[in-house]
Amino acid sequence: MTWITDEMRGIVGKVMREAISHPIALSDIRKWAMAVYWPEPPPRQYWDEDYAAQFGGIAAPEDFNPFAWTAAMPTPDDPPVSMSAFRESELGVATPDYKAILLTEIRARHGAPMRPGDVIRCIWKITDYMEREGRMGLMLYTTLSQEFTNQRGEWVRTLDSVFARY
Amino acid sequence: MTDPGAIAVGDEIPAFSREGTVHHWNRFAAVNDEFAGHHWDDDVARHEGFPAPFAMAPLLHAYLHAMLRHWAGPSARIAAVAIRLRGPLFKGRRMTSGGRVTALRAEAGETIADLELWMDDDTGARLSTGTATVAFPV
Repeated sequence: MTWITDEMRGIVGKVMREAISHPIALSDIRKWAMAVYWPEPPPRQYWDEDYAAQFGGIAAPEDFNPFAWTAAMPTPDDPPVSMSAFRESELGVATPDYKAILLTEIRARHGAPMRPGDVIRCIWKITDYMEREGRMGLMLYTTLSQEFTNQRGEWVRTLDSVFARY
Repeated sequence: MTDPGAIAVGDEIPAFSREGTVHHWNRFAAVNDEFAGHHWDDDVARHEGFPAPFAMAPLLHAYLHAMLRHWAGPSARIAAVAIRLRGPLFKGRRMTSGGRVTALRAEAGETIADLELWMDDDTGARLSTGTATVAFPV
């Protein structure tokens, strides 16, 4: 028995989604840092422009998500591509019939910092399928990779998320 | 702020700890638009087979970044952070993360430190393991 079909192998590496952020707002960065570091105040470099000037100005924490809530593309009134983290059907391939999906691993590599005013482009790809026996039977592990670049074409982040389905 | 010249392989970095409460998680939900019921609703969590609501994985990943930032200081560059999730941080538990320097090298005008990371709860359960790379300007 296997979860992985030839059709699924055929979409590995293909662009599944694309999004373009709104220009990052200084307030978004401050609020993100406040939320992550709460209940202590976040480091001054994330909220004090005068202090941050010695480091080239305020930059977002590396874990910042510029696509939360809304984006310039897709727009809020575009139909959602999936109610789940992802579905193979977004690329015209049958999605495995699974009962549950869990995020099991996050691997981030960071490049150019995200600063106020930056516009971030992100593309999503499935980059790997793997199967392994687990407590719930044969588990399907899928790596969903996101590649972030900024308006100057600089690499900002590669984020690999590994989801287990069973 | 850490002096990169004083870092040695085997050094442990200061721990980072947070309570597992919806007061913490609601704030992250608000900035990350992340409102799945199993992160705040006891009934939803139980329906999905969990004993209690649990923290969002991206928040735990962000906590590791925060720990590294506290250790490395404002001028360091966090180049990579990976986390492998082994168990949830449930509501009512407290998580503590730590790290240890595993390698050091000089590269392109920076001191690069590789680290192994971990995160436990207050019952002693290991919630996650991971790795990180932090670059210090020289």
